[in-house]
Amino acid sequence: MDATVDAEQAWRDLQRIRVPQERVYDEAERCASSGLGTTWATAALMWVFLASMGLELPWYGVLLAAVVYVALLGWLVVAFNRRSRMRLHRSRYTWHTVASMALGGVLTGGTVLLSGWLVDSLHPGVGALIQATATAGVFVLFAGPVNRWTTGALRGHAERVGR
Amino acid sequence: MSTPAGFDELIHPATRLSVVALLATTEWADFAFVRDSLSLSDSALSKQLGTLQEAGYLDLRKEGGGRKRRTRVALTERGRAAFEGHVAALRAIVEGAGAVGPSAGGPGAPEEAPAAPEAAR
Repeated sequence: MDATVDAEQAWRDLQRIRVPQERVYDEAERCASSGLGTTWATAALMWVFLASMGLELPWYGVLLAAVVYVALLGWLVVAFNRRSRMRLHRSRYTWHTVASMALGGVLTGGTVLLSGWLVDSLHPGVGALIQATATAGVFVLFAGPVNRWTTGALRGHAERVGR
Repeated sequence: MSTPAGFDELIHPATRLSVVALLATTEWADFAFVRDSLSLSDSALSKQLGTLQEAGYLDLRKEGGGRKRRTRVALTERGRAAFEGHVAALRAIVEGAGAVGPSAGGPGAPEEAPAAPEAAR
């Protein structure tokens, strides 16, 4: 095989590399925009778990509910992963991904605490329902735009570093 | 003309370069995703993957069974290093020619969105 390559050919090869990589970012964006089912399922699990806290369960009941909640979240992640056609390489993620996860945690946790404080005077069952609904609602409203922001930033980052 | 260190003849052919470039962006990708993204036939992609696997550049893993059986393709560390070396070599060739001056559509020309090659349509 002839290994000599002139500059024009090398330039064309560098441009050719960009095309399949664009397909990967297209797929990442498609997954982010079509992952609404997973978002709703996560929110539903969160709602059930938080609402169950209003049942004034004994400590082992709370522990069991937490274990079941975490297990179901894990199952959801595995199911989503099985449906995926590819996974972006770890080197392609940016600080936006970490920031969005941290912000999601702060926002969801903050809503749990704030709504818990606001409904403190209500009956525990009713208070837990309001708390669960507020938290799950904030999660659903937050997840879509942040997913789009994160995946958009991935492509922008790749273009800046020239892949 | 001599080629810079890192230039890899195995991944130099256009289709194989596209396959490796796609896989370099991923941890893993489904066979079907690679095939569809590059508009290749099953047999053409299998042939390219076989060549790369023999060189130790990628791993093929079959998962599931029956109708849900799928093949996941991932670059190995060796394959990733070879791709990065190859890209660095291509850049070195382009930069080496930069002193000569840009030509229309050539290495010194302003960067534009490239036309999708036939293999990637």
